[in-house]
Amino acid sequence: MSPAVAVMAKDLRLAWRDRAGWASAGAFATIAVLTYSFAFDLATGDVRPLLPGVLWTTFLFAGIFAGGQSFARESEEGTFDALLLSPVSPTMIYVGKATANVLAMLAIEFAQLLLATILFGTSLVSPELLVIVFIGTVGAVSLTTLLSTMSASMRGRAMLLPVMALPLLVPLLIGAVRATAASLDLDAGTAPWTLLLGVFALWSTLLSVLLFPLAVER
Amino acid sequence: MQLEFLFAGFAVFWAGIFVYLLMLQARVRSLQRDVERLEERLAETDAAPATPRR
Amino acid sequence: MITSTLRNLYGWRWLAIPPVTGVAVMAMIIGALIVAPPEAIEGDVQRILYLHFPSILAAYGAFAVVFVASIVVLWRGDLRYDAVARGAASVGVLFTGLTLATGALWGKPVWGVYWTWDARLTSTLVLFLIYAAYLLARAMADELDEQAARFAAVFAILGAFDIPLIMFSVTWWRTLHPQPIVLRGLERPALPPEMLIVLLIAFLGISALAVWLGVLRTDTELLAKRTAVLRATIDRREGA
Repeated sequence: MSPAVAVMAKDLRLAWRDRAGWASAGAFATIAVLTYSFAFDLATGDVRPLLPGVLWTTFLFAGIFAGGQSFARESEEGTFDALLLSPVSPTMIYVGKATANVLAMLAIEFAQLLLATILFGTSLVSPELLVIVFIGTVGAVSLTTLLSTMSASMRGRAMLLPVMALPLLVPLLIGAVRATAASLDLDAGTAPWTLLLGVFALWSTLLSVLLFPLAVER
Repeated sequence: MQLEFLFAGFAVFWAGIFVYLLMLQARVRSLQRDVERLEERLAETDAAPATPRR
Repeated sequence: MITSTLRNLYGWRWLAIPPVTGVAVMAMIIGALIVAPPEAIEGDVQRILYLHFPSILAAYGAFAVVFVASIVVLWRGDLRYDAVARGAASVGVLFTGLTLATGALWGKPVWGVYWTWDARLTSTLVLFLIYAAYLLARAMADELDEQAARFAAVFAILGAFDIPLIMFSVTWWRTLHPQPIVLRGLERPALPPEMLIVLLIAFLGISALAVWLGVLRTDTELLAKRTAVLRATIDRREGA
């Protein structure tokens, strides 16, 4: 219990020290939402059905950029290797890292929801939607954290990470967008979207926790 | 009309296989060149100990 | 024991695979274009089926090989299985691509469109993207980089376990929405026996072709690894 908390505290402290990096991820998300609204004129009524898609593509891209960047720093400075050599188990390292990333992403996403509420005149801060955003973030960030550890040591990682992550995240994107649409009373079809989202989050968390130690073993 | 698509389907399939083989052959060629170059270097290093190096 | 068996296999497989593939592929082409009767509704264009359907089966087989080889890479740390996984993945991507291409050329005359966002088409496209990403990621690191091989193996395993989720989500995404009428062609009655026999022969031919290409590619990867070892050895000797 305590090692994971220690790693998480360390990662949160790192994230705080690296707040410029996370702030640029938040700035990216803001710019992305604004770009979408210029492109689709999102304040007009006809395009409200696009809002869930806009939010989730923004969240996914921001999460991928931020996650990739958070590991790039560690692999450049060699602190990640030092952490792997420490007696803390890889599973704990992963759990701590992923939790810190989830918390940082949730902060960015909450800010985006507030901003979109103001900009598009649609109330986006409902308890239901916050639960959906939480589950979706856990599902996406657990996977991107694992993938960014792996791609951190590879050449051309900035390009590689989205190419690897996005196809795997297709079920999550579908589930999250449709669940969000349903919570906004938009037409979303009748499938149990939140269940799909929950299953994906469980799947990606479990598999990432199991596979991370195998990936970094040497 | 229909036969055109049948022809196109078969053509695309075999063209795909052919292009794959061409790419594989290019890879093998470059590996072969690598091996030859390495052999030359190996011959040089084998000859080298006769001439004292600093 | 296993390695010596494999080494013996290395000798005779070039006596066995090419002739078997050649005969099966010839039989497949003759069967598909001449022997098989034209389909009642779709006519001659339905003969694309004999390339299309076995191709996706070959691709699934190749991805199964990637999955098993990736587990061995993680379990044993044996880089030879990394070569097997890469060889199989490249053949799987090739045949998935060929399935999509032949499917589009079949869909145009039958459904009226090259592509439709139907559940099966979409999940096949995502499958193609996942394993193309696998190949890209693995190609960006060194042949002998064991860490990169482990990462690629982990990604391949993630991809394999993602397939059922993708199929579910895409089915819900699509099928619970209005279907284009063009898709009615998918519910076809059972194939008549002549077609079934030709399809079986085509399956043999394309499987043999896939095995051949996969073995060639795996051998190339192994050769690349051996070259890299050789280069490292010579570098060390020159440095000494």
